Formats: sequence, C-alpha cells, structure tokens
Amino acid sequence: MTELLAPAGNLEKGKIALLYGADAVYIGGKQFSLRARASNFDLKMIKELVDFAHELNKKIYVTMNIVFHDDDVYGLDEYLKELEKINVDAIICSSPVVIERAKKLTNLEIHLSTQFSVTNHVLADYFYSEGIKRVVLARELTLSEIKQVNDKTKADLEIFIHGGMCVSYSGRCTLSNYTVFRDANRGGCAHTCRWLYNLYEDDTLISNDFDYQMASKDLEATEFIGELLEMGISSLKIEGRMKSIHYIATVVSAYRMLIDDYNNNRLRPLSFYQKEIKKAENRETSTGFFKGQTTVDQQLYNQRSEMPTQEFVGIVKGYDSERREIIIEQRNYFSVEDELEIFTPSKITYRFKLKQLFDQEHQEIESARHPLEVLSIPFDFPIENYSLLRRVKDE
Amino acid sequence: MNIVARIKNLSEINHLINIGVDVFLVDTTLSVRKINPQIYQNLSEICKYNKPVYLSVNKMIHEDDLETLEEIFSQAKNLGIDGFVIGDLTAMLVAKKYDLLDKIIYQPGTMNTNSFDSEYFFEKGIKGITISKEITLEEIQTIFKNKKTELSIVGHGYLDMFYSRRKLLTNYFKFKAMERENIIDNYSFRLKEEVRENSNYPILEEKFGTHIFRDYALESYDELEILKKGIDDFFVERIFLEDEEYYEAIIAYKNKNNVKSFLEKHHNHYNKGFYYTYTEKLKDDSND
Repeated sequence: MTELLAPAGNLEKGKIALLYGADAVYIGGKQFSLRARASNFDLKMIKELVDFAHELNKKIYVTMNIVFHDDDVYGLDEYLKELEKINVDAIICSSPVVIERAKKLTNLEIHLSTQFSVTNHVLADYFYSEGIKRVVLARELTLSEIKQVNDKTKADLEIFIHGGMCVSYSGRCTLSNYTVFRDANRGGCAHTCRWLYNLYEDDTLISNDFDYQMASKDLEATEFIGELLEMGISSLKIEGRMKSIHYIATVVSAYRMLIDDYNNNRLRPLSFYQKEIKKAENRETSTGFFKGQTTVDQQLYNQRSEMPTQEFVGIVKGYDSERREIIIEQRNYFSVEDELEIFTPSKITYRFKLKQLFDQEHQEIESARHPLEVLSIPFDFPIENYSLLRRVKDE
Repeated sequence: MNIVARIKNLSEINHLINIGVDVFLVDTTLSVRKINPQIYQNLSEICKYNKPVYLSVNKMIHEDDLETLEEIFSQAKNLGIDGFVIGDLTAMLVAKKYDLLDKIIYQPGTMNTNSFDSEYFFEKGIKGITISKEITLEEIQTIFKNKKTELSIVGHGYLDMFYSRRKLLTNYFKFKAMERENIIDNYSFRLKEEVRENSNYPILEEKFGTHIFRDYALESYDELEILKKGIDDFFVERIFLEDEEYYEAIIAYKNKNNVKSFLEKHHNHYNKGFYYTYTEKLKDDSND
C-alpha cells in the first residue's frame, strides 16, 4: 500500500498531518536536520508525536540529512540510540557516517534522503545492499525514469509529489555558502537561486532590469498519482516542513482523497483535488520533471504569488454541548457576516455565514482580533477537534 | 602530491609535461563542465605519453547514461587508464564490474566533508575521494589526521557551486521570446546579483544541464605546503581560464619562485575560497 508522507515543523502540524490523512510524518530534530527554523523537535516532542502516530497505526520519520562535517558528529551516537528508544519508525539521512553509525548501534530503519540525489536503479540497489530500506529519489527524474528505476531496484522508493523544488540537484549546491556564507547542506540555505540577476554575455547586458531568474515553481503532481500508485511506489512525499497548519491539512487532505478515490475506483475530476489544494497553496505550481525536461512552464519568472482561495482563521478545540457552540482558537482575523468553512479531518466541510461570535467570557463580539484567543460559535452539533475554520474569499 | 591538469588539445601535451604536470585529466562523453569532449577521441594517443591519465566522468548518472558509462569503462580498461574522476557514486558501482574499483576518485563537489567519508570509501576499495570545496583549511587538516584513502582537492581555478538538470539559459531566452543561437557550451555568459553589482558569476549551459561558478577563482599557493601533507592529487581547474594563465598557474605550483609574478599579474580575480571562511549552518532550508 502506497504511503502518503507529510512534513511537520512542529508538534501541532505533525498531529494535524496525521489526522488529515498522512500515513506517516517526517520531522527534524533539534540537531542534524536541514530545517532548523522549522521549530524543530526535541526528543520529548518526538516521543509525543511518535506515541500519537502509533496510536493511529501511523509512522514518524526523523530527518538527519545535513552533510556532516567533523564537528557535527559530536552527540550523534547518543542521539541515534535515543531515537531508537522512543520508537521512531525510520531516520532519513544522507551522510555515510550516519548510515554506518545507525547500523552499528541501532536497528533503526534507514531511508536515504533526496540530498544524495539518487537518479538510477544501480545506485538505489547499492544503498539497498548497504542496509537502506528506502531511497528518496531525486526530484530531477521523469515519470518514465521513475518507472525504470522502480522496475529494476529492490529498494523501496519515495517520490516527491508536492512542494518546493531545488533548482540544483539536491546536495550539490553551494550557492548559499558562497554568496552569504551559510551552508546550504547544513540547514543554512538562503535560497540564492530565487534571487534576481542580470544576465550578461561578456560585457553585453541581455536581461532587463534584473529579470533573469532560475527559481522553480513548486511541484504539484495530482495528474501522476494514478500512475505512481500503479507502479507500487512505497511513499508519496509532500515537501514543506516550514509550511502552515492550513497548508499541511489542506494539501494532505487533497492527496488523501485523491489516493483513496483512485484506489476505490471513485476518482473525481482532477480539477476537484487541484481546487482543494488551491485553498491553501500560495505559490505557483507545475509538474516539475514528471513530463520530461523542464521548460519555461516550470520556471518562476515573474515572482508572482498565488493567493490561496481560503484563509485559515481558527482551529476547533472542543464543543460546548450545553450552549451548542464550537470552541475555537483564533489564528487570523475574521468577523461576523464572514462566509466561513469548517474543514474536518474526516474530509467533511460545512459552509456557513457567521451570525454570532463570543469571547471567552461569553460576551458577544463582532470580530476575532487577537491571535490565539479562545472564542465560541453557535453550531448545532459537535465538530471534531483539530478541524480548521477557513474564511472563504470571493470565488 | 601530483598536479592534475585538464587537457584541451593534443598539441599542448608536451608543454604540459615540460611545466611539470603529473597527471592528465581528460573529458569524456559523460563529463560536465567540460573543456573539450572531442579530446576523448584521442584517448589512446594521450595514453602514449607515459603519464598517468584520469578520465572525467562527473555527470549525474540517469538510467539512459548507464550504457555509455559501461562503454567508457570497457574502453578504458583496455587502455590502462589510471583514474576515473566521478561525480555520481553510480560510476563506482559500474567500475566494479570492470575490476576498476581501485581507479575511482569520488569527486561529487560537495558531500566529502568529514574524516569518516575517507574511512567509508577506503573500505569500499576505491582509489580516493576529493575533499569538498566548501570546507575550511582547518577542517581539511582534520580529515588528514584520519586519512585512510587517497585524498585530493580541486585547489585552483573557477569552482562550480551549482549543478542543475534544467536548461536555465535556453528557458530564459524562450521566456523573453528572444531568438538566440549559441546558448549551449557558450562560456561567455555571466550573472550579476541585484544587490552586489560587482558580482560576476559564470553560468554555463551544457547538453546535460546548467552550472554556475564562483566569481573569483581559487588559488592555494600559501596553503600548498599544508596541503602537501595530506593531498595526493591536486586538481588545477581550467574552465574559464585562458591557456597562458593556466600554464602559469601550474608553473607557480611547481616552483614557488613563480608565485609572486603570477599573483601580481592575475590577483584581481582570485581569492581563498572557503579556506578561512566557516559557513554558518542551521538557518533554514528547502531540502528534505
């Protein structure tokens, strides 16, 4: 069964991802992970999420995918042993030192990070023979290449289906090191590839007012999910440990529906799932390398951001059955008369116009102005905790 | 410590030998950042000069490249090639089939950043690894202390810092609707940052993708004695350098009396790379 794998930058995002349909979640620890700003997890938080996931028969993977320098190795052995003790389901890494120490000291399942940019079955098989169960393939592979690798390798494969894309082969870029002295392969990437440049040929200016760009649109692979499922790919991965709760819930939920609908022969038009994603997606998307060599269509030349069609305004924290009100925690401004949508982990949505809103003292108020304030909204029946409240923008 | 130089044409071989080059590095059909892939057709001729010859096989290997890779190893085995400078570990695995594992030099550019890498690849039986280009001289010396396999370094020239499969110049010209020939293998394109106007990064699109290079070339004259303590092969990168400057650079590595005049002449486009610059980690990233 193909797994849907989602990112989480903190505990709440991890729980949300699991509740909204991810089979597994990958997270970064405080050390050894490429995403230090993603409010990374300490061991206690990892354990809490692992326990939460295992209760749901789901999995947690911990990324340790920095390229290790000698002074990074300090504490590695103890950390690996701790991860095994708290029952994480796998580690995702790319440095031989991590792979070998994990094999020597633990029975942790090991996945090879896309940082290694594996692009063929020979290399995938090599890592399989080295004790690595799963290989995350490079995002530079076409659908046809993915199929060729999959047909020939013994390794389980993990494929990126959604989110940001490096323009360089992953792990092979030091633009950030050179331009801003931040190590791209140890969590310091400054996204230099998204800067604006002028292009010259010798001394002749070719570009116009710094309009040379090399940035990529984000990946969106809804149209290839069926073929990936038919291939029996082990894991379909969503990128974005830095993304919001709303983004995680929405994108995970859309791909969950797509996978389940495909498996149950109930596929709806792809535009349905794509429209769902657009409720939270704020970057232009494209099909990456899936259809072959990238063209102008996969590049981001105008720096335009897409506006999500819906705005995340609160999260459901409970239900007051006496008053028949849902309790929510505010995340963004909204007010009475707004068109709202409740989006549940069970994929049910309820749309309504907000008529009344109460603060924590149950005083009626006109608008929700304060971040994280607890509010209540009249509603006839209970709503699942962790449901999201979204404000519908003009469609 | 061997000086490894890239060959551009047959007519310069005797000159390269005379100025002290120890090993020739030759482009192949699976080279990227190449200077002359046609030279590969003259491989048997180059081998007649009784100098060690390495082949550059540094492309990321996709499924369609595997057959070509096998052909390169098959031909090279008959010619007694001394080394294969590979960018993708796949080449190590294919080399094993041809009993050429002990000729492999793993040079991914990044990745070889700690002492353990040397030990790991020693156990795999390869000839050596090239230390990554983004680490400090102090870190390099730490790797020396635990040296197991042969070590090499790209110690001179314009080093690449970005390797994409995308056609980043061709696509740009299409986006601008500019009719344009001579994009591929054109060594004249440069990028300038919006903020730092004096930046000037060479950008090269080849058949296999696009590369961006540092705007200053690396030189290692002051560091040479330290490097000699652990480095077996010192690669002198040639791309974007004029022939005369390339030869002068090699001469200066072979004879320190020539360093001063070389730097006086060319100092304005050289720096020390990351030898004394420790790059920060743990800020933010886009990879998983």
